[in-house]
Amino acid sequence: MGTRIEAVSALTSHGLRKPTARHLAEAALRTCLAHAGKDPGDVDMLINAGIYREDNMGEPALAALIQEDIGANLGHPPIGGHGTFSFDLVNGTCGVINAIQIESGLLRSGVIRHGAIVTSDVGPSLKDPGTAPFQPTGGAMLLAWDDSISGFTDFYTETFPEYEDLFVSGLVWQGRRGLRAPGRPAGQSQMVIDEKPGYRARLADCTEDATRRFLGRLGIGIDEVDLLVPASSSPDFVDPVRARLGLPGDRVAYTGEDLAGAYSTGLIAALQAAIKSGRLGEARNTLMLAAGAGITVTLGLYRQTPP
Amino acid sequence: MDETSSKQAGHWLALESSSRAARPEGSWGCRIESVGVKLPAEMLTTNDLMNRTSHRTRIQLERLTGIHERHVVGPGETSFTLATGAARDCLAHSQHQAPDIEMLISTSITRSKGRSSQSFEPPLSLYIKQAIGATHAVNFDLSNACAGMLTGVFILQDLIARGEISCGMVVSGEYISQLSWNAADQIRSLFSKQLASLTLGDAGAAVIVERTPDGTPGIDVIGFTTLAEHSRLCLAFPSTVGPGAQMYTKSRKLHRVAIEDMAPLVAEAIGDAGIDLADIDYLIPHQTSARAIRKGTEEFARRLGAKPKHTVVNLEEYGNTSSTTLFVALHKYLEEQRMHKGDRVMLLAIASGIEIGIAIFTIDSQVEHYGHTH
Repeated sequence: MGTRIEAVSALTSHGLRKPTARHLAEAALRTCLAHAGKDPGDVDMLINAGIYREDNMGEPALAALIQEDIGANLGHPPIGGHGTFSFDLVNGTCGVINAIQIESGLLRSGVIRHGAIVTSDVGPSLKDPGTAPFQPTGGAMLLAWDDSISGFTDFYTETFPEYEDLFVSGLVWQGRRGLRAPGRPAGQSQMVIDEKPGYRARLADCTEDATRRFLGRLGIGIDEVDLLVPASSSPDFVDPVRARLGLPGDRVAYTGEDLAGAYSTGLIAALQAAIKSGRLGEARNTLMLAAGAGITVTLGLYRQTPP
Repeated sequence: MDETSSKQAGHWLALESSSRAARPEGSWGCRIESVGVKLPAEMLTTNDLMNRTSHRTRIQLERLTGIHERHVVGPGETSFTLATGAARDCLAHSQHQAPDIEMLISTSITRSKGRSSQSFEPPLSLYIKQAIGATHAVNFDLSNACAGMLTGVFILQDLIARGEISCGMVVSGEYISQLSWNAADQIRSLFSKQLASLTLGDAGAAVIVERTPDGTPGIDVIGFTTLAEHSRLCLAFPSTVGPGAQMYTKSRKLHRVAIEDMAPLVAEAIGDAGIDLADIDYLIPHQTSARAIRKGTEEFARRLGAKPKHTVVNLEEYGNTSSTTLFVALHKYLEEQRMHKGDRVMLLAIASGIEIGIAIFTIDSQVEHYGHTH
């Protein structure tokens, strides 16, 4: 018995000039639910693990807006019905695996029956969307409990705070110079993303260390990993890590070219490629891997018995 | 799946029960072990704030809300320093050491640290766990408006009940008074959508949640739902007036909807706990305005035919400290030794979304860490 991946969807902005994080996540979730043959009302929990938005809204959780937009359990709480619980989780590209761990637990407890996770990132400024170091993308994943598979059995997170300054992002207030005319803005908060030299090399080092420790704890050799589903904030991350771990290239789910440069959607994009190619269904042990700022490395093991 | 289906039937809330009777065999009980708070030393009275609005408003804010003053940050204080201070205070009241913490969830709406008014990466939780020495804890941030801390407790409760971890911390630091100054620059009348921003105060709070020792009481039920049809009643965005955000709230509608829809949800939670509302010794609701809390309690009493023995209101001294209000209030009552072993407490989170969260738990040996001997 375990948590099954019911369906995933990852998509790009299809050339839209001003895509929004909310629209991308919403579109991905609608497609994902259609793939799974489910209605919005079936979603008991919705976690948004996306990071960068056009408006940097502080509240409410973006997940609540998406819940309203897809029409999941709106209206007054009736006796006997079930609602949807939505919130945002923030942990860079690793947040998706944290969200899977949370929903997997609640599925196991019987608190929820279907859990959805959405992701999306767009340039933090609509005025200048081209400055972001990633492609605008959105993703969604639907999880459910299944008596016939082991599903997600183990999770592991390791942080390497000695490298916490190598990748930092946040809003910084920049006041206007000179006198401020009445009614005119005094300044604006601008997103500053600062990647220092050496970040990508350290990311690969930390990922290799954490992955070896995780597999060592589980007593699984790298040769027993049938499929690696990686996500990372760094585009040239996958091959160095694969080579260090000694994993053949044919055991890696590479993201399709159209979704290259996905950020928090990276893992879902790789999963989509694995599902479309049929490789996820054939794999006994699938290792999900995300690494990003912190440096944080998060892993999850997905187990099933192929037909 | 049968157990899953039967557990869910009739629940609008995503609901966790950790009471001995309700929980499946092999699962663990869970309790709030300690609470810590960090309050900035500087105080700002409502009178002083209203005297510094750019326009003459004639708003009698103190009379409307019951807020006389609130704590506000001084130089060098940020969301991060408040959260870290609260986490340390929480550990000082706990039997646990920092290395015992297996998961640390930071739930601040404001995530200011250093020159950044809102940190994105790495998450604030990474810095906090390093600062307090919880180096092995899994960490992430969670954003759920003023319901963030209780959402974190909900997540830890599930992990502890299933035996995945035995001890976790939820922490929040809110340097949110910037919203008051941004609102004070623009607000003109009582009908401004920024009125609620004038009620905000700064605070940090932290809570340790642990596996319940055998035979001791803890969290009876904890549940959440999002009434997303009203997700746009309160929105906050980065300000162009000054650092921090500006918040636009349709306060009256939000309170009306929350009160109307909350009654059946409270009934669901107390029903699952097998108690009556009159069995609640202390109701601690989200602290927005004394008038709104009073009206809400009266409405519960009318609809549910009972009312809790005490309703906690601490607005006079703290104002609305956003995601930390429930635990600032709980900490105050523990420090003042008003709560006793066996008292039943209901935490009621109401937040933009609209998020509704309810936790019912029984006070046990926590009180001993706050000077109780009985």
